[in-house]
Amino acid sequence: MSWLSGWLHELILVVLMAAFVEMLLPSKSMERYARLVLSLLVLLTMLNPIVSMLKGDASKELSLAMEQQERNGGLLSGAGDGADSLEKILADGRMLAEGARDQSLKLAAEEIAGQMRDQIAGSTGIRGVNVTVKLGMGPNPSAPLGEDVPLISSVTVDLPAAGAVAASGSPGSGTGSPPAANPASGPIRITPVEPVQVSLDNDGAASEGSDASAGVSPSSAAGNGAQEAPADAEAESIIKLLEQNWNLDPDLINVLSGGANAVKS
Amino acid sequence: MEIIQVVGIGILSTVLILVLKEQKPMFAFLLATATGILIFLFLIGKIGTILGTLERVAESSGMEMIYIKTVFKIIGISYIAEFGAQIVRDAGQESIASKIELAGKVLIMVLAVPIISIIIETVMKLLPA
Repeated sequence: MSWLSGWLHELILVVLMAAFVEMLLPSKSMERYARLVLSLLVLLTMLNPIVSMLKGDASKELSLAMEQQERNGGLLSGAGDGADSLEKILADGRMLAEGARDQSLKLAAEEIAGQMRDQIAGSTGIRGVNVTVKLGMGPNPSAPLGEDVPLISSVTVDLPAAGAVAASGSPGSGTGSPPAANPASGPIRITPVEPVQVSLDNDGAASEGSDASAGVSPSSAAGNGAQEAPADAEAESIIKLLEQNWNLDPDLINVLSGGANAVKS
Repeated sequence: MEIIQVVGIGILSTVLILVLKEQKPMFAFLLATATGILIFLFLIGKIGTILGTLERVAESSGMEMIYIKTVFKIIGISYIAEFGAQIVRDAGQESIASKIELAGKVLIMVLAVPIISIIIETVMKLLPA
């Protein structure tokens, strides 16, 4: 008999609440509609034992139906169509996945750059090299029909300042690099030996310097050429090293000297 | 003695609106809207007390919360629709006010759809095939 008392309990409460809420309504125009919903609630409460016998718990069914309706129609929240929200969720998921992929590519690029820096330091003896690696997604060269894999799209090796390069020696000087490349392509250099410091600008600086101070210019020009050759040789050796170790296309490797000009690319 | 405050605010704003209406009808409308919002905000706390009591009683007596939620939604929709419609009606736009009321009625009817569907399904199962 406990179910009977519970049922009566609930029925009385719902009827009382309906009467109370009807008084709480603001105007007569809404009253008919509100009364309809309230009477349906009373009816559902009365039918509760039968509904429970046939379908399961009535209140659970009702809450499920309400939730579904809100999800589909967006009754009070204005959430829009179900299909729209599904597309939005999928788009959000794609965006999140792309963000995660970009982040992992960035991490991998940093890791590769660190390894390249160690290798360059180990084989050529140059310290303080700044290596920047850019990764991009591309088709796998060994399996062209497979899914995209991360590939190295460019490597930029930034050699330390000219003095450090010259002091570090040139282990790869026998690679047959052209002696005395264009002096104008070198960065601003300061000759440390001379008592008078002479600086050379990029464009036509050598000729201007020779006009202004004839005593200093030949030695500085010669020094420039002598520094340029080892830097070029360094670049060659670094490119060869990275090409062998990482199986890279030499066109992708870009070596900058002194952080300003491209020595070899 | 809150009712005296409400009536006082109402009478004061009515006098002001009557004075303003001759000079600036726009400001009179704004004043009427502001007064309406003020009184509504004043009452919202009281309505909240009543609904809170209802909810507590229903919870303690083991009533299903989905019924209470449905009833609260009805009350909310009807109050908001009525308030908006009255403001618009004050501004003289009777047709828009009736559209707002229509929207409130339709939204209340939408709340009835899941209940009706459950009742109808139960009745159909009771009937012999």
